Amino acid sequence: MATVSIAADSQCRPLSRRRLFWKCVRSLIVLAPLAAGSHDLAAQQQPSESQIKAAYLYNFGKFVTWPPGQATNQDLFVICILGKDPFREVLDATVRGESIGKKQITVRRLSRMPDAAGCNILFISSSEQSRLGQILADAQRMHLLTVSDMTHFAERGGVIGLVTQQDRVRFEVNRQAAEQSHLALSSELLKVAVRVIASKAER
Amino acid sequence: MARLRRRSISMRLMMMNMLVSGVALLLACAGFFTYDQITFRQGLVRTLSAQAEIVGSNSVSAILFDDPKSAANTLSALRSSQNITAAGIFTIQRQPLSQFVRNGSGAIDNIPALPPNRVESHWFGGAHVELVREILSEGKPIGFVFLRASLGEIDRRLRRYALIALAVLIISLLGAALASSTFGKSVAGPITQLAETAQEISRDKNYAIRVPALAGQNELTVLVDSFNEMLRQLQASHDELEQRVAERTRELVSANQELEAFSYSVSHDLRGPLDAINGFSYVLLKQPLEPQTREAVESIRASGRRMGVLIDDLLNLSRLTSSAMRSENVDLSAIARAITEDLRRSAPDRKVEFVIAPKAEVVGDAHLLQIVMDNLLRNAWKYTSHHESARIEFGISHENGRTVYFVKDDGSGFEQRSAARLFQPFQRLHSTAEFPGSGVGLATVRRIIQRHGGEVWAQAAVEQGAVFKFTLGSSSASVSAD
Repeated sequence: MATVSIAADSQCRPLSRRRLFWKCVRSLIVLAPLAAGSHDLAAQQQPSESQIKAAYLYNFGKFVTWPPGQATNQDLFVICILGKDPFREVLDATVRGESIGKKQITVRRLSRMPDAAGCNILFISSSEQSRLGQILADAQRMHLLTVSDMTHFAERGGVIGLVTQQDRVRFEVNRQAAEQSHLALSSELLKVAVRVIASKAER
Repeated sequence: MARLRRRSISMRLMMMNMLVSGVALLLACAGFFTYDQITFRQGLVRTLSAQAEIVGSNSVSAILFDDPKSAANTLSALRSSQNITAAGIFTIQRQPLSQFVRNGSGAIDNIPALPPNRVESHWFGGAHVELVREILSEGKPIGFVFLRASLGEIDRRLRRYALIALAVLIISLLGAALASSTFGKSVAGPITQLAETAQEISRDKNYAIRVPALAGQNELTVLVDSFNEMLRQLQASHDELEQRVAERTRELVSANQELEAFSYSVSHDLRGPLDAINGFSYVLLKQPLEPQTREAVESIRASGRRMGVLIDDLLNLSRLTSSAMRSENVDLSAIARAITEDLRRSAPDRKVEFVIAPKAEVVGDAHLLQIVMDNLLRNAWKYTSHHESARIEFGISHENGRTVYFVKDDGSGFEQRSAARLFQPFQRLHSTAEFPGSGVGLATVRRIIQRHGGEVWAQAAVEQGAVFKFTLGSSSASVSAD
């Protein structure tokens, strides 16, 4: 109840006296459930790191264009996880009911690369570190957007490497790797990347 | 006086002009300003909306990947818009991702909630407008853009408008005043001239004056021309009337003179034979006569005497008509008293009560009025003679604002329908045997009263007495008429 009154008070900053009354009344009616809701969210606390990473994973899909004519599923946007799954049900919960474009998002868990056909995004678990070279080569051929939170992933030829800076999940982008996989990255994405490894053409 | 009136008419014209133009201008300014306010506000909201949309779409990735730096970068584009005093990007949980507040504007403590099913909304406050727009990603809200723009520009526009309106108002009022004084003269001038001329004419009765004709062809020239035409006609009919009156007067005077000369000579010429009749019948009566013959001669003699009285009265009547009238103060009460005393002396054994109103003072010809009173009172005396006792009153009354003098008796009276005939010469209602008289008395009264500009009339009923009332003309106003 305290939240409600605070929200109402802050709504009732002096605008004009005439509007004030209605604004207060309206905010009390409209904001009451909203304020209560945001209170609940606040109580839920900050999302966990794996929740953030899961959200990032699916959000990357919004800023990447895959080459046309690729043999991916026309109705599904597939996020694949190779190796030991660090997300478990968190990823499924995050993408449930979400879609990119008109494609519904589904999650597939793989143990070997040949199963990656039809994937859009390939999250490579740090358990696969030793086989990274081969995986990246296959992924490039299959035009997959490779994402991983293993160290120096972007430098090592991955397209997007998740890093943690000052308790915040950030990411690095390797444009050369993206180009080689024929993936077009939106400037919006590059804008928020902490580091962009330029393509050969740019160098 | 005329000068003042002219000033007031052109002044009124000027005031009217200035009032109309001032009001029209103010209304127009108010209308323009209102329109400008509305369009300016709409334009402002449109611009803000577009800016919010651009900022929103450019901060999708910043929100999705929780990047305040990128959001701040996007927001910094708004710094060049001077009217935006505060802006912010908020997450869907209404947590600020990035914001900037220009100096002098309050912090963004909370962003207003959008109405349901609305992507964008705005609120006008006293000094600013706030706009909130949802940021969408894949059709789903992921955050909000908040913009606050100052409305200082509106105040500046208002001040500019007021200044311009004031300047235009002053100029147009001056213009209206100038136009009024120029055109006012051409309108008020002729009207004033007309008024002055009309006044002069009614004062001096000089119908020869004309208003100077105006150039051009409008209502005023028509008015002036019509006025002059009316004056011309008035003068013509006035002159004609004067001429006709003069003619008639001449005719009347000559006719009257002839008539008087005729009646005088008739009366005079009648006297000769009458004297002969009287004289010789007297001589006859001195002779010894048969009783039958004597009676006939007596009768001739009596008739002759009566005829003499008639001729005398006729002569008197014609003399009254022609004699000059004097104007002096006359006390009718005193005259009445003198006559009644005279009457009493003539028949001391009659029981007659006289009531005479005091101070009936009028202006007129004393001799003529004496004749009037004498006739009326003697009539009253005569027609009450058959009654054992009588009451005769001379009084004053007021009828329809006129002062009316009356002589009232309670004698034998007469039929009311015969009243008008009384005033004709030789018209009598009673036989000479009953009441002696020539029938000229009341005709004489009427003539005298008419010469005084008044009128005389009678009210009576048989055996109920009679009242003779008369008024005198305005110039003969009673001095003690109350």
